Amino acid sequence: MSRPAAAERLARLLAIVPWVVAQDGPSVEEVCVRFGVSERELLADLNLLFMCGVYPFTPDSLIEVDVDDGRVWIRFAEWFRRPLRLAPQEGLALLAAAQAMLELSAAGAGTSGVEGPDRAPLASAVAKLAGVLGTSAGGTLQVELGEVAGDVLAIVEKAAGEHRKVRIEYYSFGRDVNTDRVVQPWRVFATEGHWYLLGWCERVRGRRLFRVDRVRSARMLDDSFVAPADIGPLTLYEGRPGDPLVVLDLAPGAAWVADHYPNEGVAAAGDGHLEVRLRVSSTAWLERLLLRAGPEVAVLAGAEGVGAAAARRVLALYDR
Amino acid sequence: MACVDRLERLVNLVVALLDTRRPLTRDELRERVGGYSDDEEAFRRNFERDKELLRGMGLPLVAEPLDPLVPEGAVGYRVPKDLYELPDPGLDEEELMALSLAASAVSLDGAGAGPVTTALWKLAGGSSAPGASLAAGTRRAGPLADVPVDDTVAVVFSGVAARQRLSFGYNGERRLVDPYRLSYRQGHWYLSGYDHARCAERLFRSDRMTAPVGLEGGPGAFERPAGAPAGPPPPWRMGSDEEVVASLRVAPDHAAWVERVAGPESVTGRDHSGTYFELRVTNREAFRGFVLGFLDHAEVLGPPELREEMIEWLRAVGAGGVEVAR
Repeated sequence: MSRPAAAERLARLLAIVPWVVAQDGPSVEEVCVRFGVSERELLADLNLLFMCGVYPFTPDSLIEVDVDDGRVWIRFAEWFRRPLRLAPQEGLALLAAAQAMLELSAAGAGTSGVEGPDRAPLASAVAKLAGVLGTSAGGTLQVELGEVAGDVLAIVEKAAGEHRKVRIEYYSFGRDVNTDRVVQPWRVFATEGHWYLLGWCERVRGRRLFRVDRVRSARMLDDSFVAPADIGPLTLYEGRPGDPLVVLDLAPGAAWVADHYPNEGVAAAGDGHLEVRLRVSSTAWLERLLLRAGPEVAVLAGAEGVGAAAARRVLALYDR
Repeated sequence: MACVDRLERLVNLVVALLDTRRPLTRDELRERVGGYSDDEEAFRRNFERDKELLRGMGLPLVAEPLDPLVPEGAVGYRVPKDLYELPDPGLDEEELMALSLAASAVSLDGAGAGPVTTALWKLAGGSSAPGASLAAGTRRAGPLADVPVDDTVAVVFSGVAARQRLSFGYNGERRLVDPYRLSYRQGHWYLSGYDHARCAERLFRSDRMTAPVGLEGGPGAFERPAGAPAGPPPPWRMGSDEEVVASLRVAPDHAAWVERVAGPESVTGRDHSGTYFELRVTNREAFRGFVLGFLDHAEVLGPPELREEMIEWLRAVGAGGVEVAR
């Protein structure tokens, strides 16, 4: 649920007032830039502020706001000498963002390509913030965005930033094969614990999503490319409408499968079981699911015998 | 229009709450703030909504009995100034900008003014560093990463920060935990802390905590041990099965990944058929899932009981012996 507009404006106002009070008539423009607010929004909020104060709201009990010649003064706002203290969620969010970037640059990516803030001021900002939030001792908060191998992340991020093609050696987990491909990198991002590269794969002539930790090597090429204005949604699961439809029976212990993967319908099947219809683009993906889940998941239609065949193939390792 | 009126009312409400030393009743606030409806029912509803909004913003709205000697009597409200005011962290311009840049690289969920934006407003408002700008963006098309922060994690974090005990449901039991550290790894938040019922340090995943998740007692309730393990262990270490040392062979093309997850010290040898690992397993189910993720590129070599368990599991799946009876 989004915050109601009034809360957002109030939060901003309670931050702007102390700063304006502390300065001697800063310019309206300065305030706008500092707080990332438009002049229209700022003036609307200030117009309202000067009707505020304490009971009985006589002129001498109101906050005084002067906007003159492009500058702004606020007086008699003793209550708002300081901004409101950081809520835990705010402190955490800020520290988590900063910590993520610090750990990224410690992994070598931040300094050699991934665009981010400078390390030194960020580290000292984190230390000061942690002091205010009481986490003083280091090591109470860790943020790891995803495993990164060597310089691959830095190379693909740099290539994406400079719109240059990359040649990658990629292990396709879904199909269980290694391939060599040239990719136009559109976006590099981390989510749910992994780094991804989204781009146009010239080998298959299609939009593809790659896990950066499965890129064995990457080399930036001289060729440049033009990324489309709209790169489409960043979905992790790439089942496509034309892929084979598989119907699975999920025991209660495997109900998460229905929540986790986009599907074409879930129905209750009695005894707490669910019947889910999925588009499956790769056999290896389904094999892993079936092998791991064992008795919790059964194929009802579309890929009969896939799990059993995979199990026998793995079992062959043990028969020697 | 209603929104503007509400904002004015909210500012006046905050002023009134900060201005008073003694708790004010709802009716006193109604009179001092103005802008509330004459209708009793509508007033109560709006007052509750305003209160909720202020608390949601982190305003330390204290409700206390009007008469300290009659704790069960009528309550009044106030906002203690010392709890309201942001202490000055003393950030300079460069530090403020670095935070702003980091925040723009990491998306923490939610459109509009999320917690990062409001936090940056507060820091910009409370810092005398000139020239800082929150409007400056980067040339990046979108955030580089997302790290979702929800209410549960926020409560856990305040426990970690203030060294305050936490109570929450986990695996169907209530837990009382001294929260030591919070870490985000593989897409999840983990709390490591001292579990009072188990008298040992344990690891908890925040999305598996069940309501109510809350703080117990006051801050500074325990000392954080120094030099405890940095982050959550790999999945096969997260359990309470009796520990076994598993030996594993992983095909050459796949070994590098295992080495990253398990650490180089787990490697015991290499030959043409792969890399050999020794892993200390305390969660056999997670270990099986991990190994099967490699399909026929990984093999459990020992100990015999673990290898036998894997063979049995594969035989059961291979026999297709999991027909769905319906």
